[in-house]
Amino acid sequence: MKKFLNAALPVFILIIFVVVMQSGSFLKRPIGDEEDISRSIFALMEEVQNENWDGAQKRAEKLNETWAKIVKRIQFSSERDEIHSFYAALARLNGAIMAEDKSAALMELNEAYNHYNRLAQ
Amino acid sequence: MLPGYDLLGVKSLNEGLVVIVRSIIGFFSLLIFTRIIGKEQISQLTFFDYVLGITIGSIAATASTDLSSRAWPHWVSLLTWAALGYIMEVITLKWRSAAKYFEGQPAIIIYNGKILEKTLKNERYRISDILSLLRNQGIFDINQVNFAIIESNGRLSVMKKPEYQPLTPKDMNIQVQDNGLNTILIYDGILIENNLNELKKDRKWLMEQLNKQGVYDISEVFLAYVAPSGSFYIDKYSDHVDCPDEFV
Repeated sequence: MKKFLNAALPVFILIIFVVVMQSGSFLKRPIGDEEDISRSIFALMEEVQNENWDGAQKRAEKLNETWAKIVKRIQFSSERDEIHSFYAALARLNGAIMAEDKSAALMELNEAYNHYNRLAQ
Repeated sequence: MLPGYDLLGVKSLNEGLVVIVRSIIGFFSLLIFTRIIGKEQISQLTFFDYVLGITIGSIAATASTDLSSRAWPHWVSLLTWAALGYIMEVITLKWRSAAKYFEGQPAIIIYNGKILEKTLKNERYRISDILSLLRNQGIFDINQVNFAIIESNGRLSVMKKPEYQPLTPKDMNIQVQDNGLNTILIYDGILIENNLNELKKDRKWLMEQLNKQGVYDISEVFLAYVAPSGSFYIDKYSDHVDCPDEFV
């Protein structure tokens, strides 16, 4: 039993490490309907396309909140630069929405979507 | 404040916590991998083992602190280096010719008091290095050396000529007592029952020994052992030894 534990314990620990390091790809997926970053981005794109800036503002705030929740889960398995780039894209998106600049907002949304896809990959 | 601004910035990414988690992963991975690779002592390491150790340590350190990349590729690199190190170890254990090729082999550098210059050159040693290594072993005259061998770990093994070998009790036909190991009975205030049983003594006997030296509780003792000659050594926590503060 002791011999088995001596061999099994390191293997178990290494498996836990692998799970932690690879957890980002599944932890970034939505746990509930409200945590779906991709869906939030597409919905925001639609608001921007329709130039509904009030709706876009609300959805952007919601996207920021969702991202703040997700980043806590994926921070152990993601690149810091990718996370910061997503933050930066969100900040520029907020500015574009405030300025009611449709093309800038769409550019930032696409960039944010790209960073999100590359997270923990 | 701008809408959503409080949620932006980098506050949500706890870099300190991430470094702690990644350091734990690096530390225990390194511990497990080095246990698997082997138990060679530092002094037995070849130059390649030394470089391998530094590289693996460096990868683990980068995995802990380099947050600009994910921990995973660093960990895979760590695993690969450790696996290659293990494979090399297995190969060199199984095939002697492979061991000679990968780790090098001992080379005689001084034979019967004469320096073998060709070997010295092949091993890329200067004569001053050899003289220094000899001096480290208390040899100041090459004439005293029968064989000097550069081991694969770079250390120098020396066999002196018979006339310079130290005198041993056997040379003088002197009978000496067998030096066994001390049997520790109390370590850091804790009684080691197994050792007491091995000596076929009991707690009463031990207390008698302690009482003779003015000790009435085992917890007062820092170290107590029985030497092979049967003498009993005891060191208390409160020895009150007057030790000189300065040494000249």
